[in-house]
Amino acid sequence: GIPAPAVYFVDYVTNSIYLEDIVDSVTVQDHIYSVQRSGNDTSSLQDLAEKMGELLARMHDEDIIHGDLTTANLLLRPPVEKLDLVLIDFGLSFISGLPEDKGVDLYVLEKAFISTHPDTEVMFKALLKSYAATSKKSGPVIKKLDEVRLRGRK
Amino acid sequence: MERTHQLELFPNYNVTLLLFRHVKNAAALRKKAMEGSLEGALINPAMIVDPFQILVAANKAVHLQQIDKMKTRTLYAEIIFNLSPNNNISDAFKKFGISDSDTAVLIVLLDSYKTVNLEDIASQVEGQQVSLDELPHLTDTARVKKIYKVTPQEEKISTLLDSVVCRMSTKDVL
Repeated sequence: GIPAPAVYFVDYVTNSIYLEDIVDSVTVQDHIYSVQRSGNDTSSLQDLAEKMGELLARMHDEDIIHGDLTTANLLLRPPVEKLDLVLIDFGLSFISGLPEDKGVDLYVLEKAFISTHPDTEVMFKALLKSYAATSKKSGPVIKKLDEVRLRGRK
Repeated sequence: MERTHQLELFPNYNVTLLLFRHVKNAAALRKKAMEGSLEGALINPAMIVDPFQILVAANKAVHLQQIDKMKTRTLYAEIIFNLSPNNNISDAFKKFGISDSDTAVLIVLLDSYKTVNLEDIASQVEGQQVSLDELPHLTDTARVKKIYKVTPQEEKISTLLDSVVCRMSTKDVL
């Protein structure tokens, strides 16, 4: 139940995977840039953050760790207003039920968020709130996220 | 009426689909296909959601034939096998091939260097050839969901075609 490009063909000879092309999609990264540039801020980005939190919660509840969460690995299908998200680039993914792995997954996104998009702390907060509200196992994950944040400061 | 698509990854291959309704001789057709006197894949249209599903199966079949790794003995059998979400060949034929009592038949022809004679194939079918546009009317969506085990969760975020194609293309990994 996680939106991602459909797999069309796996070629074991050349080790290539042929995937669906999400036509006219825009990365969340580019979308945030353009919204910030145009000045129409808060509400639409907060809604986007909520949707992202929900999606990641569902993914983690299935014990899927993305491994490379950045705003460039989340696409928005057209029309952008619908906030129809698609997750891409599972090259570093793995399966794990450990809150530590999920916490790190979120930490990677947080770091990517704050370094690529200035002034988005509020947005990420909304993402986490929505994550916690959607995920059935969020308690230990958020706890681990806090621990990893502290570790990261050394 | 029929539709021909070129395979993007194998451009010298063309896939032609012919759809027939009110077919009276499904048993005879099936026999001919098994004997090899009818060169084509006879498929049950109720299990097909969209022509793209056939293209994915054909693409994989051609690929495997080229590296000599087909699981079945002929290209057409391989196409039918590729439609199945599991690796049981006889099960694939039972579910995706035609049975003697079927009245609708989807014929898939694959040609590369030698051209296929469409009239020859069509003349052997005792039935009415119709446009591929009628395929959605013949799809048994409930049965497709059951056979491919598509969950309601999945249905919410994806199309049935995508769910089906994903299972077809990744069944050898699972």
